[in-house]
Amino acid sequence: MSAVNTWNSTQHFWLIILGFCVAFVPRYLPLMLFTKRAIPEWFNEWMKFVPVSLFTALVVKDIFIDSATYQIIFTHFSEMIAAVIVVVIAYRTRSMAISVITGLIAVFLLSMFIA
Amino acid sequence: MNKRRPNPKQVPDPNEPLWRSTLRVAMPLNLSYIPIGLACGILLHAAGFNTLLTGLVSILIFSGGAQFLIATMLTINSPLLSIVLMLFFLELRYALLSSSLSPYLKGQSNRFLFAFAISLNDENYAINYLKFATDKKWTGKEALMVEHYSLLFWAVSNVIGSLIGSALKIDLGVVNFALTALFLYMIVMQIKNRLTIVICLVSGVLAAVCMMLTKSTLGLVISTIIASLIGFFLETTLRKHLPASHWLWKLRSPGAKKSTVESESDAN
Repeated sequence: MSAVNTWNSTQHFWLIILGFCVAFVPRYLPLMLFTKRAIPEWFNEWMKFVPVSLFTALVVKDIFIDSATYQIIFTHFSEMIAAVIVVVIAYRTRSMAISVITGLIAVFLLSMFIA
Repeated sequence: MNKRRPNPKQVPDPNEPLWRSTLRVAMPLNLSYIPIGLACGILLHAAGFNTLLTGLVSILIFSGGAQFLIATMLTINSPLLSIVLMLFFLELRYALLSSSLSPYLKGQSNRFLFAFAISLNDENYAINYLKFATDKKWTGKEALMVEHYSLLFWAVSNVIGSLIGSALKIDLGVVNFALTALFLYMIVMQIKNRLTIVICLVSGVLAAVCMMLTKSTLGLVISTIIASLIGFFLETTLRKHLPASHWLWKLRSPGAKKSTVESESDAN
């Protein structure tokens, strides 16, 4: 990762505005439509599986995919181990804060010893 | 998603003012936003965002995933269009959240729906959905207050994170894992039956394959659509032909007792 980004604040501002538009429409449109009419059942049943599929895909991207070449890599050992720890902690505590903080501490400690 | 350990003996005081009873509902979420918001603010600062813009993005987009994504994509110098497109696909899941809340918001004015949609996100959705489903007295007004509390904590944590980022030198690889941990947490909260775990594995493999093929994050979108469709068809078929199938068994959310064998299988 090159650390320096060359954008200026105006460009960041436009990114935020555009980001707002794409973030807002999916939240607003269904609310508008479906408070007035019924949601088709199949749509609901399908949408039920979207979050879990998306989150898993994102986790796989973070841990197993190289962000520059998009090749699969198995070298992020500290992240892999920390991920297992996070899953166990999340399952047991059901607490977002504890899960995230444990994950951060785990990856920090593991990366000192492994990588 | 933010189901905390049940607190069974909490008797609500009927005279408690509304702002305080909703704050009490929102507080666990607010507190968990602090570390994540700090991490997000630090990353945004490292990506070149100034503190004012960090505050603005936290209010306008108000999505941990989206803001982490912006930070990551800026540090690898992605073009504007591809960031916005990626954000769009990431935020598309809110269509699901808001459609599932819509039965509870029937008859509200368009202005209310507008305000509600702006500050909707994964975590306050989870709280509100649970409250709507279990608490007859929970209305749109209370739900909106919970959203605003969480928005406040999120934005303030982000701004403070941005200030910390400008004052200290921090290992970004570690901070970035906050997002992965957040997603893992949300996956675990979504696991309701064994079928969901299968879909997790399918989605994970598909995601890797699709991203290698497309050489871009578009692969994420393709794999999400395919995996969710597979889940939808599998569940519909199982319900129809094998309604007693053990794949549909509910997994009980544990206290601290149950074995963690089931949950480990979705670690990747």
